Amino acid sequence: MNETLTVAAAKPWATGSERPFVRIEKITKKFGDFYAVDDVSLDIWKGELFCLLGGSGCGKSTLLRMLAGFETPTSGRIEIDGQDMTGIPPYARPTNMMFQSYALFPHMTVEKNVAYGLHRDGMKGDEVRDRVADILRLVKLDAFARRKPHQLSGGQRQRVALARSLVKRPKLLLLDEPLGALDKKLREETQFELIKIQETLGVTFIVVTHDQEEAMTLSTRIGVMNAGVIVQVGEPSQVYEYPNSRFVADFVGTVNMFEGRVSEDEPDYISITSPEVGGEIYVGHGVSCVLNQQLWFAIRPEKLRVSRERPEKEHNVLPAVVEEVAYFGNLSVYRLRLDTGKLVQATKVNLSRSEEDAISWDERVWVTWGDTAGVVLTQ
Amino acid sequence: MPRASTILLVVCILGFVFLYAPILSLIIFSFNESKLVTVWGGFSTKWYRALLEDPQILGSAWISLKVAVVTATLSVVLGTLAAYVLTRFGRFRGRALLTGMSTAPLVMPDVITGLSLLLLFVSMEQLIGWPAGRGMTTIIIAHVTFCMAYVAVVVQSRLADMDESLEEAAMDLGARPVRVFFDVTVPVIAPALVAGWLLAFTLSLDDLVVASFVTGPGASTLPMVIFSKVRLGVSPDINALATIIIAIVALGVFIASWQMRRAARHG
Repeated sequence: MNETLTVAAAKPWATGSERPFVRIEKITKKFGDFYAVDDVSLDIWKGELFCLLGGSGCGKSTLLRMLAGFETPTSGRIEIDGQDMTGIPPYARPTNMMFQSYALFPHMTVEKNVAYGLHRDGMKGDEVRDRVADILRLVKLDAFARRKPHQLSGGQRQRVALARSLVKRPKLLLLDEPLGALDKKLREETQFELIKIQETLGVTFIVVTHDQEEAMTLSTRIGVMNAGVIVQVGEPSQVYEYPNSRFVADFVGTVNMFEGRVSEDEPDYISITSPEVGGEIYVGHGVSCVLNQQLWFAIRPEKLRVSRERPEKEHNVLPAVVEEVAYFGNLSVYRLRLDTGKLVQATKVNLSRSEEDAISWDERVWVTWGDTAGVVLTQ
Repeated sequence: MPRASTILLVVCILGFVFLYAPILSLIIFSFNESKLVTVWGGFSTKWYRALLEDPQILGSAWISLKVAVVTATLSVVLGTLAAYVLTRFGRFRGRALLTGMSTAPLVMPDVITGLSLLLLFVSMEQLIGWPAGRGMTTIIIAHVTFCMAYVAVVVQSRLADMDESLEEAAMDLGARPVRVFFDVTVPVIAPALVAGWLLAFTLSLDDLVVASFVTGPGASTLPMVIFSKVRLGVSPDINALATIIIAIVALGVFIASWQMRRAARHG
């Protein structure tokens, strides 16, 4: 357990000191003329919980199925723990998979479902019973061992599927939308359980998901996929705060995007003229760009401040009208119409329980942000 | 004006009468004392006793039963294999041809099936000396050729409904493809296998035309014997025999539907 934590703390992907545990080298998968996965290369280290994030049809599941051996790559190679996986069938790989549909054998009890993989390895008698009992205790299902899958709730089935894929102690566990079928509350609980189990057993996880919140909470690193290509790989905070493209900025979290052109390019700041803002955006750090280059300025809603009085600032202050206020309990979301007609979103944490004088519908307000709060995107 | 439910009830009753009145009258007259089929002469079970003492009927019933059991079993094996190949092997060369060929016997007239198989058996005997003469073996082969098509259709639809990730999960857990088939696929499609077996059994038990073409001396099935008896006039013992057959078939249908319901509940 400690070893795993130190590995995670050392961030081998940042230093590149260790040999990657999973190497995906220039993998391409074509279905007819369609490129499901297009020249993807990716390194994943031992003990990671790596999330492949993307919309439906982006190729994330195909990539996972190639790791499990259910699909054969059109070109490229996959290496797991130093072993080339080319031509190795699913039943001989050091991986196990948890399926989106859970794929529990309907004619077997929970116990038999979990024991199935152990029996295939030639394990017998007491050893099987002990291993099954241990793993069922870990997922808190020891009381349900004799039930059939159809007698369980969705959350319980999900935990049986997890137990079944973990019981063989695979080097690499592949999870396809593991929490997709659960309701919100159960999903949040299970997310933390999943992390705990992953840390306890020290298994490397690769999780496929379309849910960016899930990816943020779970993973050590996220790989954002679009149209068969990995667009960005990074830690959750990197992907969120330093997206490398409009696609990533938009897909991960909510973002306000302004299109514009570089009007001033200095080493320590740049200015962007944006018709959508109706003036200049001041960015308080240098950006590698040229004058008059087209680019996009992206800023997250929580980084915008809304006030009635005009703040004492020279740059990045815009007048707006409150069009809508949505109350979410922990925070409120304001939809603001700039004078140029552009809609922007700002969030505010609700610090007190009741605000007598809260900003409300149709009020004229000022929107402002810090000089380094946004991201400049060139693609 | 009568209510809609009354109309429905009347239509329903008429439908059942249309379907089952002939069968019901047959069952009632099988307990008729009189030798005349159309005149009621009191209750009796003597025609059932007469049936048990008729060696020709008993012999042919035994042959029919053997043929049906062997046919149903072989049809399930071959039909399942065909269905598995058609649903699981994706697109391969000749798939359309195999699909067409495996379902053709469903729409082929019995006369043509029977005649073509007879020609095949005769020329095979001349060329390779097998099957030597015609009899039970040739009837079984002929029945399997059309029964397996029915089994294939039933099993194919069940396989198509089955979640393929079940098979992948078993493979992922270390089972080789043959193991996966017997550990996961067969149990999941078991209700379809039972239904297919019963269907093939009934079809084989029922068949007159194909069997008449390909049979030889000493291998008369029950439908053939009944048919030849009826040509000389309907005798009450045939009613008794038909009642027994109905009982067997009804039991089969009941078991099959019970199996299907059980599977649907657990599915």
